[in-house]
Amino acid sequence: MRNIDCRGMRCPLPIIMIAERIKNEEPGSRVILLSDDPATWPDLQAWGRMQSHFVNQIDEITFEVTA
Amino acid sequence: MGSITASFTSENSLHPRAQEIFLDAIGRGWADPAKIHHASRELTRLLGESREIFANRLKIASTSIYFLGEPNLGFLLGIEGVRAYQSAASTHFPATARQEVMAIVAGREGAKKLNVNLNGGWAVPIGSISDLLIHPTVNLETGATAPSAEEFIGRIFVDATADPLVGLPSNWSTALWDAKSWAGPLGLAVFAIKDASEWLNPLPHLDHRKVPGSYNPALVIAAAVALEATTADRNNSETQISLLNALIRRYIIDEIGDVDIASCNDAVHHLLSFSFLYLDAEQLVDQMERRGFSLDSGSACISADLEPSHVLAAMGRLTHGNVRLHLSPDLTEVTVVEMLTQLKAVVEELRAQ
Repeated sequence: MRNIDCRGMRCPLPIIMIAERIKNEEPGSRVILLSDDPATWPDLQAWGRMQSHFVNQIDEITFEVTA
Repeated sequence: MGSITASFTSENSLHPRAQEIFLDAIGRGWADPAKIHHASRELTRLLGESREIFANRLKIASTSIYFLGEPNLGFLLGIEGVRAYQSAASTHFPATARQEVMAIVAGREGAKKLNVNLNGGWAVPIGSISDLLIHPTVNLETGATAPSAEEFIGRIFVDATADPLVGLPSNWSTALWDAKSWAGPLGLAVFAIKDASEWLNPLPHLDHRKVPGSYNPALVIAAAVALEATTADRNNSETQISLLNALIRRYIIDEIGDVDIASCNDAVHHLLSFSFLYLDAEQLVDQMERRGFSLDSGSACISADLEPSHVLAAMGRLTHGNVRLHLSPDLTEVTVVEMLTQLKAVVEELRAQ
């Protein structure tokens, strides 16, 4: 499982970075996103709904995204 | 920066009809309506006429109306005035009967039922208060209209500050309107108490007056003229604005893409909120302004505290790249198409960066 560290970045950068990364992943593989921006969790959920990716919050700044 | 072709922001300037009479109203508004001089009697007559306009348009009894020079004071009077009465009245009820009530709290996406322990007292946030429902008729961000509150068994404070023309539930207790929502002047609110015997003044007071009374009479007269004019504008433009709203929705989905529309289909037509994926709203608003179009946004990068819009987040909508449009009654299709063409170009440019 690979990590993307977006700590210290503001919206929409964490979402842009996860979207770029997920394009190159095999369907079903998982990527961990680290982000401390308060908009990340609501935006990640909306992005997952729009782009058909499963997203999960592990702790306050750790999120799991399924390609 | 170039000149502005069109504004889609929520800041209405004073309606032209109100501007026409404003100086005259200022000239008449200096008198003291409590006195019996000619100027005072004349002002009392004008205030009475204005009061009738508010009663007629807002569909409330003219005797229930009070004017406030500080609109936000109305939230305190509307909520705490009911709570003060409830606290006084509750001492007559057996405590066990009021331990727990089922309250329906109207939220943005529907009504939900909550078990609320009244022993918790007043220390609950506004919006989920036990037996007092805070009922915003229209959500200022998305234009969503609140679910019906007719079934609510309790008292209702109606926050009608976002839109004057959405009606009150029949079981309301107190209500508040802000004149700026109908292109009236800033600094004037209309506050109403349905049954004054079920309301207690929560402010320190010496006499029987229910509100401080420190408002500018000229603003009342201008606000009444603006309400009449805006109601007529809205009635005349309703079909046109609903068509333009549909046109914008279709265009941003079909021609721009990767967009999340926050305003549901039954929202009021003159407000429309949507968010573009992968975009910084600050850059978007700035670029659009350079091209002559002023827009609002609810994204975190635009807000003072850098927090995302709690409304969009609570609705599960995308909070970045957000645009809020206010469609004014005089808006034309040509202007909307021009704005959309520029919006598409800006979104493509920013996404390519």
